[in-house]
Amino acid sequence: MGKRGIIDGRENEEPTARVPGPAYARIASLLVGAATLLSAAPASADEDAPIQLWHAYRGAEEDALAAIVARHEATGGAPVELLALPYDAFGSKLGASIPLGEGPDLYIDSHERLGDYRVREIVAPVGDAFEGEEGFRDNALAAVTLDGEIWGVPLSQKCVALYVNQGLLREVPATLEGIAALQPGLPEGVFALAYEAQGAYAHAALLGAFGGSMLGPEDSFGFVGEPAIRSLDLVQSLIDRGAVPNDADGALVTDLFRAGKAATAISGPWLAADLGETDVDYRVVQLPKVEAAGGEPMRPMLTVEAVMLSPHGAQKPEVRALAKLLASREAAEIRQATAHTLTARSDVPLPEGDAFLRAFADQAEVAIPMPSSPAMRATWEPANRAIKAFLRGELDAAAATEGARKRFDDVRRPPPPPASPTPLIIVVGLMLLYMAFGMVRAARSGDLGPALRRSLPAYRYVAHAVIAIGLLVLVPLIIGAATSLWAGRPETGHYVGLANFVDILTARGGPLLATGSFYLVLLVTLLWTLSNVVLHLALGVSLGLILARPTMKLRGIYRVLLIIPWAVPNYVTALAWKGMFHRQFGAVTGLIEGLNRAFGLSMEPIAWFSKFSTAFTANLATNVWLGFPFMMVITLGALTAVPGDVLEAAEVDGATRWQRLWKVTLPIIRPTMLPAVVLGAIWTFNMFNVVFLVSGGEPDGTTDILVSEAYRWAFTREAQYGYAAAYAVLIFLMLFSVTRLGEWRAKVKADREAAAVAEAVAASGGAH
Amino acid sequence: MVAVTVSQVTKRFGATEVLKGIDIQVPDGHFAVLVGPSGCGKSTLLRCLAGLEEVTSGSLTFGERDVTSLQPRDRDVAMVFQSYALYPHLSVRENLAFGLKLRKTDAATIKARVDEVAEMLGLGPLLGRLPKALSGGQRQRVAMGRAIVRRPALFLFDEPLSNLDAALRAQVRVDIRKLHDQLGATSVYVTHDQVEAMTLADVMFVLNGGVVEQSGRPLEVYEAPASRFVAGFLGSPAMNFIAATTVAEPGGEGLRARLGDGSVTIALPPRDGLGAGRSVDVGVRPHDLELCAQGEGDIELTVDFVELLGPEIHAHGVLAGTKVVACIETSAGAGIGIGAVIPLKIRRLHLFDRESGRTLR
Repeated sequence: MGKRGIIDGRENEEPTARVPGPAYARIASLLVGAATLLSAAPASADEDAPIQLWHAYRGAEEDALAAIVARHEATGGAPVELLALPYDAFGSKLGASIPLGEGPDLYIDSHERLGDYRVREIVAPVGDAFEGEEGFRDNALAAVTLDGEIWGVPLSQKCVALYVNQGLLREVPATLEGIAALQPGLPEGVFALAYEAQGAYAHAALLGAFGGSMLGPEDSFGFVGEPAIRSLDLVQSLIDRGAVPNDADGALVTDLFRAGKAATAISGPWLAADLGETDVDYRVVQLPKVEAAGGEPMRPMLTVEAVMLSPHGAQKPEVRALAKLLASREAAEIRQATAHTLTARSDVPLPEGDAFLRAFADQAEVAIPMPSSPAMRATWEPANRAIKAFLRGELDAAAATEGARKRFDDVRRPPPPPASPTPLIIVVGLMLLYMAFGMVRAARSGDLGPALRRSLPAYRYVAHAVIAIGLLVLVPLIIGAATSLWAGRPETGHYVGLANFVDILTARGGPLLATGSFYLVLLVTLLWTLSNVVLHLALGVSLGLILARPTMKLRGIYRVLLIIPWAVPNYVTALAWKGMFHRQFGAVTGLIEGLNRAFGLSMEPIAWFSKFSTAFTANLATNVWLGFPFMMVITLGALTAVPGDVLEAAEVDGATRWQRLWKVTLPIIRPTMLPAVVLGAIWTFNMFNVVFLVSGGEPDGTTDILVSEAYRWAFTREAQYGYAAAYAVLIFLMLFSVTRLGEWRAKVKADREAAAVAEAVAASGGAH
Repeated sequence: MVAVTVSQVTKRFGATEVLKGIDIQVPDGHFAVLVGPSGCGKSTLLRCLAGLEEVTSGSLTFGERDVTSLQPRDRDVAMVFQSYALYPHLSVRENLAFGLKLRKTDAATIKARVDEVAEMLGLGPLLGRLPKALSGGQRQRVAMGRAIVRRPALFLFDEPLSNLDAALRAQVRVDIRKLHDQLGATSVYVTHDQVEAMTLADVMFVLNGGVVEQSGRPLEVYEAPASRFVAGFLGSPAMNFIAATTVAEPGGEGLRARLGDGSVTIALPPRDGLGAGRSVDVGVRPHDLELCAQGEGDIELTVDFVELLGPEIHAHGVLAGTKVVACIETSAGAGIGIGAVIPLKIRRLHLFDRESGRTLR
């Protein structure tokens, strides 16, 4: 089955879409299609090809899967080819291959992605691969059932539960409040409970106890109203009592629990894997009840791992048979024995006395399957921000959650209505016509042929470069620009003309300088760029001047040491700096504590990412560290162009050291530094890694710059690629015009100087 | 407008001693030239005077002031560099005004002084240009102007003509001397070119190997070089040197010199304390060899090469195994060709001790 079928199929299903699919998807599929034709052996046409099975398992879970597949093949099943992919890349790999009739016949993924996959048509109902409803747990079955059909065969279930350090806690109180009440009796530096209090995923369990959920009915935002407010107030009280660390992330929860600094921790089965061989004597129990919620249990989100079938795989009986086998009782037993995972089957008895699996099984019973609607993805960002803003004390619970709902609704609001592509077609048509006209005119003037022949060798020299640049730069640029004229999700998008740009430039109809509006982000970006470039220059030039002094000893060593920040991949540096800025455990806090101890001070550790000024400073410090070596190297190079005798002339003329620097050295290296400054400004303007990894836009997206904002629209807000592309086009236009302006100024200056030289030559022709 | 006194100055760069105890006195308003081959220390001495190098020992006095440890800007000197060292980012006007601005001179004075100097040097039309839009000669004049505009007590010149072509060099040489006379300031000028040294100097210091070999008025030094080195360094073409041994005049009281391979002897004028059997170098300037009538010459030279310079002829030949050049007026020497044997009278000769190189008087 070829790609024609898929595209035709979509057109039949969606008669309303006037322009089927965004341009880039078409072009991409054409390119890949061409590549497929060239390779001349489409895998799907081969009857004897092994079944393709993709998964994201590692370690024991991968071993279990391999064992099950081996048994399948040994008992005469069709041959299977396994491919392990990184979890983060899973969805995009599927989306890139399945619509072309390639990729896996079946794959193992989390159920909450089903909604998204359905929209993208990369999953099909399982049909007869599912059998024996009574053998599965209800919760698991509910998770994979959408619109009355079953879209995946459940394999296993994952959710969080309560880890208890038995060395610190013999008896586990039944309620959350009870656990918090233990805090005064615990040793210094030990928390009663460690969990990601600022994360919406962990908070969802608490919300569940109050009867709420992150996604409400009909894809509305669920994290509002009574349950949301009461759950937030409860978290605040836990933190106020010192029972819960304020800003723990996943890694920190693991560290605290492993180090015996947490009596209990809320985490999933992955924590057990992370703990590995540890001295901590722990056990796992069900999450506690919540007194404030009338004794209701905490209800975490449940993720069900399921076998899903690609549309082409679903048509093959042997694929469906394999799916059935993977979810069978025998397979579940292997999985449970090998990987110690909680299977989705109710007819597989838990191992005798396995308290660990028992706890997770009990927990799964009361867990809420994560909604699989695509809208779910859009809840995380506003919910996370609301929790953080509330815990920082900026907003009360009602205002924080209400703001989050506004943001969710804004992101989810329907795309602009389809626009007529006629103007675009006319513009493109006119451009093509103009080009054609020009070519015809050149051809008729008669020198085109000879000119072409003359330049033919030159074209041969540049042809490969032109092709490479065209493919690597020009084609993506054009596709990106074209994408900005579409709106909605890639599969269901439609042409909207310039509506995305209008939306962005009118700040989505809100106040011009509202949080997250284009203009505010632009201001932050400009501040970011300016402060970075100034500091890069100041530091780079100073160090360059120091290193250029011939009298300095060990120059070579210093030079290498100072270039190292530049040589280390910048995301590594960014992550290291993020760690240093951690409020409780970062190096900066360590330094402050050290100073306090040494000098008897009482400086408070700084919560770097809770205020714009400090978060911005943290980003700035990281990027200055990354950026000054470049300026230093350029300075060192530029300084070789400063003649020594000019400096001596200035010395004799009466200039002090300082005056020689400001009035001679710096003006002379200025023309060399200028292009580097422009380049540095462009890099900084687009320095995604630092902003994304260090502050991540905290607090509340205020430290985001344009390029990270564009990323969020594409990847955390409903996959609005068109909107993100419009941001990218605006960034491109701004940077392009800035560099053009610089080039134009340089050209004017060069022309003026050339004229002066010509005049001088003419004048010196007669007399010196 | 100061007298310059350099006393017992030494300068070391690591283990290398570049100046080995220099003593120099330049009277107020004089034009002093430091001349010598490359590596003799003349530029280092000039840089010490400017304050760009510190002396290792010894002292420098400008007028009454001991400037030995002063910064360049406190010495009231101006320097013209070999490469001109113009500020590439400043226009000619700004180049000229730079030193005055640093000294916080008021704007009106700066403008007046710059215009005056521009007028003096013909820089008026160039004031708005950047150095890179100037020819070599123009740059040289700007460099001069930058020194003059500050009205320093002492001018220092570091081979300022070496980057100019020959014709321009001769002209600028004259200009520099005229400017010096006009301004009346003391000047110290470094060159390796003996013509510049001869033409410019009021007082000349010939440096060799970090010491002053001889000093004095140029003509005195030329006429009475103190050593074989000075004799050979000054004058073009260079002095002819012929190794010789003194022998007693057969049957007479005087001495003769047996030249080179011994095939030729010439009579020597009497010298104090010079006896027979000494190893000496006989030095004769090419212009002191005069063509004379057959049989009247002190020597005969077999010509193997001839250069025709216009007003004179340089006849190259071998005398007693040593190469010798004679400069002969074209009118007298017309017709001298390769292979000719010409009789030459020695108008004047110098004698140097073979061992020490000192002149025997």
